[in-house]
Amino acid sequence: MAAIRLSHLTKKFGAFTAVDALDLLIPDKEFVALLGPSGCGKTTTMNMIAGIEQATEGQILFDDRDVRRLPPNQRDVGFVFQNYAIFTHMTVYDNLAFGLSVRKLARAEIDRRVREMAALMRLEDRLEWPSSKLSVNELQKVAIGRSAITEPAIFLLDEPLSNLDAAFRAFMRTELKHLQHQFQQTMVYVTHDQIEAMSLADRIAVMNLGELQQYGTPAEVYNRPRNTFVANFMGSPSMNLLPCRLIAEAGALCFGFGEAGRLDAGGDGAMQHRARAAAGAEVIFGVRPEDLEIAPPDGPGGLKGVVSFVEPVGPRTIVHLKLAEQTVKVAKEKRYKVSIGAAVRVTAPMAKCHLFDAASGEAIGLG
Amino acid sequence: MTAGLAHAGGGWLPRPLRVLFADEVKRLGFLMSLPAQLLLLFIVVFPLLMQIYVSLTYWGPLDGESWIYAYKSLNPFENYGELFADGRFWASIARTMLIVVVSVPIEFLLGLGLATLFVDRFPGRRIFYSILLTPMMIVPAVAGYMFFMLFQSNGPINDLLGRLTGLQVDFVWLSDPDLAIVAVMIADIWQWTPLMFLILLAGMMGVPEDQLKAATLLGANSWQRFWRIVLPKMKMVMIIAAVIRVVECFKIFDLLAVMTKGGPGVETETLSYYIYKLTFADLEWAYVAALGLFVLIALSLLAWAALLRLQIAQRRAETQPGA
Repeated sequence: MAAIRLSHLTKKFGAFTAVDALDLLIPDKEFVALLGPSGCGKTTTMNMIAGIEQATEGQILFDDRDVRRLPPNQRDVGFVFQNYAIFTHMTVYDNLAFGLSVRKLARAEIDRRVREMAALMRLEDRLEWPSSKLSVNELQKVAIGRSAITEPAIFLLDEPLSNLDAAFRAFMRTELKHLQHQFQQTMVYVTHDQIEAMSLADRIAVMNLGELQQYGTPAEVYNRPRNTFVANFMGSPSMNLLPCRLIAEAGALCFGFGEAGRLDAGGDGAMQHRARAAAGAEVIFGVRPEDLEIAPPDGPGGLKGVVSFVEPVGPRTIVHLKLAEQTVKVAKEKRYKVSIGAAVRVTAPMAKCHLFDAASGEAIGLG
Repeated sequence: MTAGLAHAGGGWLPRPLRVLFADEVKRLGFLMSLPAQLLLLFIVVFPLLMQIYVSLTYWGPLDGESWIYAYKSLNPFENYGELFADGRFWASIARTMLIVVVSVPIEFLLGLGLATLFVDRFPGRRIFYSILLTPMMIVPAVAGYMFFMLFQSNGPINDLLGRLTGLQVDFVWLSDPDLAIVAVMIADIWQWTPLMFLILLAGMMGVPEDQLKAATLLGANSWQRFWRIVLPKMKMVMIIAAVIRVVECFKIFDLLAVMTKGGPGVETETLSYYIYKLTFADLEWAYVAALGLFVLIALSLLAWAALLRLQIAQRRAETQPGA
């Protein structure tokens, strides 16, 4: 059992900085997702935790033990590779037994634990198979079982689900959550899929270009994004980020969207305070597609727009609207009907909207 | 369509060939490969038949008659009988085997060791790599000459041994009945370890790095990684490397021809060298023909047995569950 503390962790490849002064505390027994687009440094971070990459600077502590000088085979971490790295010249049994047999455990003990793990992973009838004959889904199970069998205090998973077919991926997602509960390990999970991160993790560390953007629970990261990168990255379809002007009107501020109209920041709400805090700066108004409302064109307030196209995506219908200068997406329920070219009015409840500084991209007034 | 054509075109052929010709594509293929088949007939089948024929006679170049008239001294299988009683022949085979079983394993282990060193990057790797491969590039006869010089009793090797031990060293390497074969083996090892190294290094580079990483993270130290991942994955390459060297070493000739000429006496006479002497010194051509055939058949049987074992092992692997 171990908490992981990364402090000022930096990795440079020549002139390129892959991970830049990363500070992160991963509490014991928590499931933390490192989330970000490819090239954001998440896998490098994980490799440094595992010891496959040497950190250029900074510290890695497991509990209070500095492991930077510890070779990877002594760090007691389980690691599941993106391509599984199954030993193709061995049977499933030997793959599962590998970690135990290099520790020179008694044969009977190894056999008992391999069979236990096979039962857990539902691989009992595959034990004698050469691993080169397994399906991708089975390879995945062997990869996880092989690492879990040594009961490492820390379990690292590098995009373990990205090669699976959709149905098995959903199944494996729940399975992983169960396993983590069962093994009581600290799990670090690298992914670029925000839905995976949201559904699995206790905390999400969003990274971009080697820097930590935000670290918090899925709800925090989703509901209170620290900057436009996080706002844009979390959620599908992504948040509408609309540059706008702050306009003072009868002592209160509102957001101006050119010809499309204005949105009232609310007389005394939180948004009014944020708008005041931002006064004078260029701002970006953020609102998630599912928080927007479509209303008939002839009511008061809201922004005028025209339906430019309608995208049914299974459980929802995404309506794309053309405002005067911008486009917005609105997520509606599956059965929602609207014809292309229809004039509509779109309104946003201020309590669910976000405000960012246009220059820095930082959220404004986020406590 | 094809059936009709085949009937019209191949009706005059004997039945087995008619089956072959039933397919137009097959017929075209046969016709196009016919020149090559004929060529093969002349360069393989004809000499073989000639060799069998001559091996059953006492014909030699001093008879003054063409080999066609060899039947005049026809003696069914006497050459073959003689062969079994020929001590020098069996001794030469034993000596060849000795060189193979000593040199090839040493070359293999040295090559494997070097490959292990070179699989990781280190400064100067490319230069050392080129230097290491040089012996292989040298013409064997030249290599033989180099070692002929090195192993002279007043040559550099004795000199070096003398300086290292502080003793008077005057081995007469190439004329000593026991040392001569050692000198030949050393030369062979020097020249052919690089080939082993090259093949084994290529095999070692082919071991997937992520599996090695996975083994490390599962707690394996470098020794365990080598035995459990690297070696099993290199099995096929190791077999290939060993087979190539065994076959080559079995034919060892050039080094001997320059270094010892089979001597002293017959102490370094290998199979190839013995056959060479029989052919060009003793002019026993009919006997050489018999000897050559015997070795060919013996080696073919050995190869067949080895292949059979490999096939059985493979079939066993394939009938495992999951196949």
